[in-house]
Amino acid sequence: MALRAAVLRHIRLPVQTLTAAGSRPQPQWSFLRLFSSHDDHLTKEEVIDRVLDVVKSFPKVDPSKVTADVHFQKDLGLDSLDTVEIVMALEEEFKLEIPDKEADKIDSCNLAIEYIYNHPMAG
Amino acid sequence: MAFTLRSVKVPPNSASLEEARGRVFDFFRQACRSIPTIMDIYNLDDVVTKSQLRSTIASEIRKNTHVTNPKVIDMLLFKGMEELNNIVEHAKQRHHIIGQYVLGRQGLAQDLDTKDEGVSDFLKNFYKSNYF
Repeated sequence: MALRAAVLRHIRLPVQTLTAAGSRPQPQWSFLRLFSSHDDHLTKEEVIDRVLDVVKSFPKVDPSKVTADVHFQKDLGLDSLDTVEIVMALEEEFKLEIPDKEADKIDSCNLAIEYIYNHPMAG
Repeated sequence: MAFTLRSVKVPPNSASLEEARGRVFDFFRQACRSIPTIMDIYNLDDVVTKSQLRSTIASEIRKNTHVTNPKVIDMLLFKGMEELNNIVEHAKQRHHIIGQYVLGRQGLAQDLDTKDEGVSDFLKNFYKSNYF
């Protein structure tokens, strides 16, 4: 008992004084939600980079012609089967499953990037 | 039982070339989506990549682009579907897949070991064919 009192007398703890407006939450903790995947979306640059990589590594494509707004059939000279193949390669890269109706509409890099960026499950 | 469901659909009866075209793309997408399963079943991971298999499937489909009759296209699709079913339900074996879909123009893999290193170009060409 006496030891406890003696020890307690010698312990100093930093005392945090509350401001007059009351206690505010620490700013650095309010952005850290440990189990939330809400902010987990891909950034647009990352999507663009990965889409362009997939298109460039397609064997029939000339990598120097690939830009972000290139049209698969008009600019790269591919045919419709190649377009479907590129869409399937993008599905594999981003672990998505694109329904047929949407896949038929994807005709150029622009549309592909937009679709993937807006897809909530893009990985 | 998933593998039998693929063949149970009504046999395609396309009215027009456009419909047949749509079915070809559906078949292609179905085949591409089964590629991960196929690579897993036959342990093809160190032999070929998924994109190479996709290109092989596309070139097989492309061999028949000259066909204009929708019923002939339906028949070809039926055979393609049958082949895909056979592969996915493990009715084929690894060497079938490798021989038919992985190896290209050069056929079976050449085994080049130390005995061939000192061989001259003349002999190498000679072994391949008569005319060079």
